[in-house]
Amino acid sequence: MRLAVDIGGTFTDLTAVDETGSVFHAKRLTTNDDHSRGVAQCADEAGVDLANAERFLHGSTIAINTVIQRDGAATALITTSGFRDVYEIGRSNRPDAYNLLFERPVPLVPREWRFEVDERLDAKGCILKPLDEAAVRGVAARLADSDIEAVAIVLLHAYANPAHEIRVGEILAEACPGVHVSMSHAILREFREYERTSTTVLNAYVAPVVDRYLGQIEAMLSRSEFDRAFLVMQSNGGAMSVVQARDRPVATMESGPVAGVIGAGRLGQLIGHPNVIAFDMGGTTAKTSLVIDGDAPVVTGYHIGGPVTGHPMMLPVVDIVEIGAGGGSIAWIDPAGALKVGPQSAGASPGPVCYGLGGSEPTVTDANLVLGRLRPDGFLGGRMTLDGDAAESAIREKIADPLGLSVEAAARGILTVVDTRMSLAVREVSVAKGHDARDFALVASGGAGPLHAVSVARELSIPKVIVPSFPGTFSAHGMLLADLRHDYVQTMVSPLRDVDPATLNDGYRALERDGVETLATEGLGDDDAVLTRSMDLRYQGQEYTLPVPVPAGALDTPAVERIARTFHDVHRARYAQSAPGESIELVNLRLRAVGKIAGTMATGTAGRELRAREIRERTVVFGEDGPIACPLIERSSLGLGDLVEGPALIEEPVSTTVLHPGTVARVADCDALVIEVDTA
Amino acid sequence: MKTEAAEIDPVTLEVVRSALVAYADEMAAALCATAYNMMIFEVRDYCVGIVGTDIGIVAQNTGGLPIFLADLGAAIQGGVAEYGLGGFDEGDVVVSNDPVVCGQHLNNVVVFTPFVYDGVVRAFPAVRAHWVDIGGSSRGFGSMAAREIYEEGLQICGIKVYKKGEPNDEALRLIRDNIRFPDSSFGDLRGQIAACRLGERRLRELYDRWGPDTVAACIAASWDHDERLARAAISRLPDGDYEAESFLDHDYVDRDRKVPVPVKVTIAGETMTIDLSGLPPQVKGPINSGVSGGIAAARVAFKCVTLPHAPVTEGGFRPLSVVLPPGTFLSAQKPAALGGWSLSLPTVIDTILRALAPALPERITAGHKGDMSGYALYGHDAERGRPFINMNIFGGGWGAKPHGDGESAVVSVCQGNVRNAPVEVQEAYYPVFIEHHELRTDSGGPGRERGGLGVELAVRGKQDLFFNSQFQRTRMPPWGLAGGHEAAPNEAFVVEQDGGKRNVVQVSDHRVSPSELVVMRTGGGGGFGAPHERAADRVAEDVRRGYVSVEAAKAAYGVVVDPETFAVDDEATRTLRGMHDAANAGEATDAD
Repeated sequence: MRLAVDIGGTFTDLTAVDETGSVFHAKRLTTNDDHSRGVAQCADEAGVDLANAERFLHGSTIAINTVIQRDGAATALITTSGFRDVYEIGRSNRPDAYNLLFERPVPLVPREWRFEVDERLDAKGCILKPLDEAAVRGVAARLADSDIEAVAIVLLHAYANPAHEIRVGEILAEACPGVHVSMSHAILREFREYERTSTTVLNAYVAPVVDRYLGQIEAMLSRSEFDRAFLVMQSNGGAMSVVQARDRPVATMESGPVAGVIGAGRLGQLIGHPNVIAFDMGGTTAKTSLVIDGDAPVVTGYHIGGPVTGHPMMLPVVDIVEIGAGGGSIAWIDPAGALKVGPQSAGASPGPVCYGLGGSEPTVTDANLVLGRLRPDGFLGGRMTLDGDAAESAIREKIADPLGLSVEAAARGILTVVDTRMSLAVREVSVAKGHDARDFALVASGGAGPLHAVSVARELSIPKVIVPSFPGTFSAHGMLLADLRHDYVQTMVSPLRDVDPATLNDGYRALERDGVETLATEGLGDDDAVLTRSMDLRYQGQEYTLPVPVPAGALDTPAVERIARTFHDVHRARYAQSAPGESIELVNLRLRAVGKIAGTMATGTAGRELRAREIRERTVVFGEDGPIACPLIERSSLGLGDLVEGPALIEEPVSTTVLHPGTVARVADCDALVIEVDTA
Repeated sequence: MKTEAAEIDPVTLEVVRSALVAYADEMAAALCATAYNMMIFEVRDYCVGIVGTDIGIVAQNTGGLPIFLADLGAAIQGGVAEYGLGGFDEGDVVVSNDPVVCGQHLNNVVVFTPFVYDGVVRAFPAVRAHWVDIGGSSRGFGSMAAREIYEEGLQICGIKVYKKGEPNDEALRLIRDNIRFPDSSFGDLRGQIAACRLGERRLRELYDRWGPDTVAACIAASWDHDERLARAAISRLPDGDYEAESFLDHDYVDRDRKVPVPVKVTIAGETMTIDLSGLPPQVKGPINSGVSGGIAAARVAFKCVTLPHAPVTEGGFRPLSVVLPPGTFLSAQKPAALGGWSLSLPTVIDTILRALAPALPERITAGHKGDMSGYALYGHDAERGRPFINMNIFGGGWGAKPHGDGESAVVSVCQGNVRNAPVEVQEAYYPVFIEHHELRTDSGGPGRERGGLGVELAVRGKQDLFFNSQFQRTRMPPWGLAGGHEAAPNEAFVVEQDGGKRNVVQVSDHRVSPSELVVMRTGGGGGFGAPHERAADRVAEDVRRGYVSVEAAKAAYGVVVDPETFAVDDEATRTLRGMHDAANAGEATDAD
């Protein structure tokens, strides 16, 4: 049996698949005092025995929430003399350009805990000034005498030569045992001192927290007599060993959301749609990402906590666009009379008005209820009753009356606005990057995803929507489909035609050695490792680079020329222009090391008996024609090949799929609903 | 444009207006990713928009350079005046840095294309970007020695470099032959054209989906909407006339004479008038701008106090009137030199905001570093065997807030998302060595809320090279508000081999040898409220962090802090602050 657990801010989700293909699910409240308790409760609820598991995969939002809530470790920073303020100066930009009262990111390490040591390298890594080890010992003594739990070491140009960072690390390890040490070259071998500093500090800042909770889970697993592989999801879409994760927790920041993207890609492949757009909509945010041939696109770097006041993190991360639009998003009218939805959310508490928990602002969920798309007594499998009258009066009072609309028109307007915002996010990952959305299928997950997916698909002329089985715990399911994966980079700035192929071969060999060694520590043999090379290239004079695939094996001059030609093509495809006459510059060698361990997607139907089909009738508003009667069908009563024509609602415990008129849903392999969207 | 807003439902309106902004952002992202010069990809000195046929801004990229606020239209207006609306064909590409209509330094090159739908020109996608060179007597940005526009480079006034999709090779060759780094600039030109084409494609999708009438009605309605928002914001401010005055160092010719900047702002009901008619006549040196510079300054200040978070459209500026007769240094006439056209703008904006402080006591910050320039180092790179130009800009202190310290090390009010160049990038590409880049202790203006800190950056050439700088506001420090003190001003000097110093705040083509260190210090932000009202423990915390020295804590704040333990000496502090208060009381009595 393989098990995956996704620990989110509110819920802990578990998915397990056994050898027969049977799937087990559980959803429990997250236990913040000791996360292992929620995991154990999930295992109980799902009825799985951890001792029988052969693999335990895990993703969480704990690292990222530690940063956002600023409750990480007491952290110090050691830099080259003259540069301790780089971390606070940052790039000096003000994205919030017209706000006179703007606020900058507050450093995670205050200035009094930033220390300078004499040493200096140049951009090629040559030592201009040797390391003043006595000064390092002085700093180490101070740290040993303090309550500092973690130290980040970031020396200028250490990406080119890590010798000084390594030496500082050794001295610290000796003088301050028990203190976590993060060295920049071990996290990111790329230039740009501020971004590398921020990434390294983030690693140090979350390391003790992540170490503690992973330790708790390890202890719980060991009590349950689980003694097999414990793997943690990374933001790059791959998994790594728990040992690696405790060392490089910064790589796990987005480990929850990416799993949903992996799952969407794999599900698409299995049912004949290799190109999909993953679309996950929960209570407060919607997330979307585009997957081609099952591969989630990975970008380098983003800001944790948002682009305005967030902290840059430069490791590869699956390209996910996230916006504040979810079931709890609040509808409001701006001072000039325009209807807006979000980004403020009523969250889980007080929640939408219809929860009856004290919420007074109308939300997306309230609009869905008023239009009949949610059933008042069917929410969360009937565990919660929704108050339709309260939702209606809130929409009337706050939206309909002020805009001079009927309640129904106001509720439709709320859904149209939120669907438009989500469409723009989907657009950003697809059309805006040159992909035609008509070539994709939209995979809808999260509690609210299936409610809105058809509208979003129509807005962008996406012809198909896929709703996986158990959309509410889809991220955990996605983890079971991840491989081990490590990304490596080496900055090597030079005109491409001037680089000796032997230098390239040496560079790649060194990266490959790192990759194979790391995978070996995770129990993988050389033969199971898949190594993929690429180069970051640009036209001489440009700054931003494009990744270009590089073949395996020894490179010679003709091979390098072929790479150059590929670059021109890639540039033209991406930006509609290229300059074949111009010189190309190499910036980075990159290597991706993948250990193939992924399981296959469970069909979800093994050993399951279909429930008897019971069709009830509902009155639902879809468009401007007002309420129409349509059937409500339980998803558990649908089997492979079954067809449902819209208008209809397909209900399951944590979600409802809305089939608009003109759509047809069919139950495909893996128990997925494939909806043909009439986009005419 | 007469509005038919009533016919557009709020939902369609939201769909169309969101799409238009998304298009501008998408064009900007493509430009930035393919750019060839640091002024675009690092510094983000560009502006992308969709301009209506009536020259109003339909949509502009978010996070762009504030001083390019809604002034892209001017360049297109020049093109329309030249060719007439009927004079554009699909596939045309127009290039312009026309000093008369754009009013900016010639390096800012606008590229625009007509978006033709059903045979009619409907809008113009447009991209302004800072080319690394435009010919003329100086590199990077305009020479401080220029007296006329003719010395500042090539003037390209609405030239079609593509006609119906075919390149105009002669025009392109003329441009190529007159600039110093043609590969770089033509690479950027390619990116600008591709971004405009992308804009055309997206607009076509939008028009296909909704039809020209609905799109036009949505644009009109969104302008009306923004206008209503702006009017509502102004109506919350107390009516009245508000005035302030500051001054610039000099005009770069007569270096002993300051250039006064008097402004008057009138708030009347739902409208605001910014009167710049008191500005002195155009000056001999290159700090003039065309009228669009003065309007941009007024618009930035206006936006900061009305709709700081709304997308930029023409409608949001309808309630603003700017009084700026021709012939002042911000409404200069040809052949005024414009090379430093933007240097005065941070001060002008700061002064407008200062005037408004009594009207918005909770939202106006104290004066900021008031300067947008950085440095350019250039020469022939001996090791790499090629000419180079290394440009960078700085952060400095922001003014203290009414309820919070000013932010440190940020770019000026004109620069928004502009960013500094990393030390590692500069050292990897250019023969320079940066000795330190750090916060400048005691540069923030003392106050109950402390002003932000400026930075100090010290750079040395690995070989002989040339240095350009354009610091402003070295004589009028960033001011405090509500009893807050002023901050340290900008300064720059070269430390010579023998330890001597020479001032280099405003130099062009200044030779520096490897034995010399160029030290640049940016100003802090002014303080807010009396420094003696700052809690002693906050002062001690600043001392612990090294933002404020032990000496300044005592002298400016009246707080005695132990240099080892950073503990406050309560008794000494009480005595010191008591003496100060007594002296103040005495002054107050005298004044009565």
